[in-house]
Amino acid sequence: MRDARLRAIAAVMPSLLVWIGFFLAPLVYLFIVSFWRVRQYRLVTDATLDNYIAAGSEYQHAILFTVVLAGFVGLLTTVLAFALAYLIRFHAGRFGNALLLTVLTTLFGGYLVKIYAWKGLLGSDGIVNRALLETGLISQPITWLLYSPIAVVITLVSFLLPYAVLPINAALRGIADAPIEAARDLGARPVRILIDVILPQCERGVLTAFALAFFISAGDYVTPQLVGGPETFMIGNFIQSQYVNRMNAPIGSALAVVTMLATLAAVALVSFLYRRALRACST
Amino acid sequence: MTARSLGWSIFGTLMVAFLVAPLVLVVAFSFGENPHATLPFGEPTLKWYRKLFAGDEFWNALYNSAVITLSVGLLSAVLGTAAAFGFVALGKRLSEAGVRLVSLPVMLPPLVLALALASAFSATRIPLGFGTVVPSHLVFTQPFVILVIYARLAAFDHALFDSARDLGASRAQIFLTITLPLIAPSLIGATLLAMAVSLDDFVITFFTIGGGMTFSTLIWGMLRTSLDPSINALGTLVLAATLGLSIVALKLTNYRG
Repeated sequence: MRDARLRAIAAVMPSLLVWIGFFLAPLVYLFIVSFWRVRQYRLVTDATLDNYIAAGSEYQHAILFTVVLAGFVGLLTTVLAFALAYLIRFHAGRFGNALLLTVLTTLFGGYLVKIYAWKGLLGSDGIVNRALLETGLISQPITWLLYSPIAVVITLVSFLLPYAVLPINAALRGIADAPIEAARDLGARPVRILIDVILPQCERGVLTAFALAFFISAGDYVTPQLVGGPETFMIGNFIQSQYVNRMNAPIGSALAVVTMLATLAAVALVSFLYRRALRACST
Repeated sequence: MTARSLGWSIFGTLMVAFLVAPLVLVVAFSFGENPHATLPFGEPTLKWYRKLFAGDEFWNALYNSAVITLSVGLLSAVLGTAAAFGFVALGKRLSEAGVRLVSLPVMLPPLVLALALASAFSATRIPLGFGTVVPSHLVFTQPFVILVIYARLAAFDHALFDSARDLGASRAQIFLTITLPLIAPSLIGATLLAMAVSLDDFVITFFTIGGGMTFSTLIWGMLRTSLDPSINALGTLVLAATLGLSIVALKLTNYRG
């Protein structure tokens, strides 16, 4: 018995060591560095809160903007992913699997390639504007489609949507048909069934999808840099520039820590509201 | 067709178009004469591919990406499988917490992990290169193997092992003749997914590789410097590789959600 336990621990050990060495330890180091200072381009050990004060004052707007934009991306991605997974589970019939496979194959379309493709699609000479002009819906190309927060939202949602479908799809598959049919036979409308039967059962899937989309977009700096234009700076851009251009790892680390805390708090708030809203709406 | 099902059809079509359109366009532009990402595509041509293959950068990137992707795949498979077996043997409570813990790196914004790794490497004076990229990838690719194999093992029929043991099979025999064949499709599938994730990663590669070039950092260079149309050709090749890997993976794991 003890032998088996030791063997199990030995089997887990290599993976755990990789996790400790290349995830936990670097993150702990990042946290420690956030209390240090930089003097003449060199790191100096310290125990100062200056970096956090700077993060709270100078970067307050960037953090708020990032949380709001990432929150919007997370919400939009989750709603679309839920609708897609719902369609696959309940309405697509035999097309369900084909639809799921299509969504899944877009998972690995290449992060940079997708950003690049949207850059081409959204430009004032791009295909979206061309199509809108052709159909006569607009008479002038929409210039704010590219190099704007809108472009960041569109690009991030298209990149994150397949990832968000995964956990929701898994959750919806786990819901048995019997309670849904029973509710329908008893005369419940689809919206009622959704609120009382389906949503409470896929809470974890929905919240995982939201958290994933929210965390990834809150930390992204490539998308705003390439399609966001000169006005759209997310906190990732500042973190990256503190590290790379200004060699100021302590401020960059403090910003990363604050962003992680802010996003964790936001996810906790959304989970709380989700449960409250469901309870308030249920009968 | 009722109004509701018509609505669902329109929604489904729009979503598929939204997801697939950017990828289709990259492929289409890679074969068109028009150097700008605008319509019309122009005459069909292979000149962007010829231009791409003519440069040394492409072959360097191909070599580096191949080394990294294959090492990450192999190590994810071995370490991930061992960990999944270990977790299953540790009992439900401990193993669920453990699996969740090792899956955390997937949720972290890549930039935060990348900068944490880069500054830890520089503080410990570990030289950047394959030796730093591969374990940095491993930390977010091994969860895919662990999750898939753990789920597979948890659903096993244990009577099979009991009867094998009662009939005198050694532990190694049981593993090689029963367990491994049973998990093989899932294992190959999960490994290919891990490789696709590794090949697709840009941010962590960029900060942990040092000087070298991979497909994703090469695309980044092309995106930043000039709008080089052979980027479409390179994008198409990476797309074909990752899509190929993930389609085979999904087929083998028989993914149903």
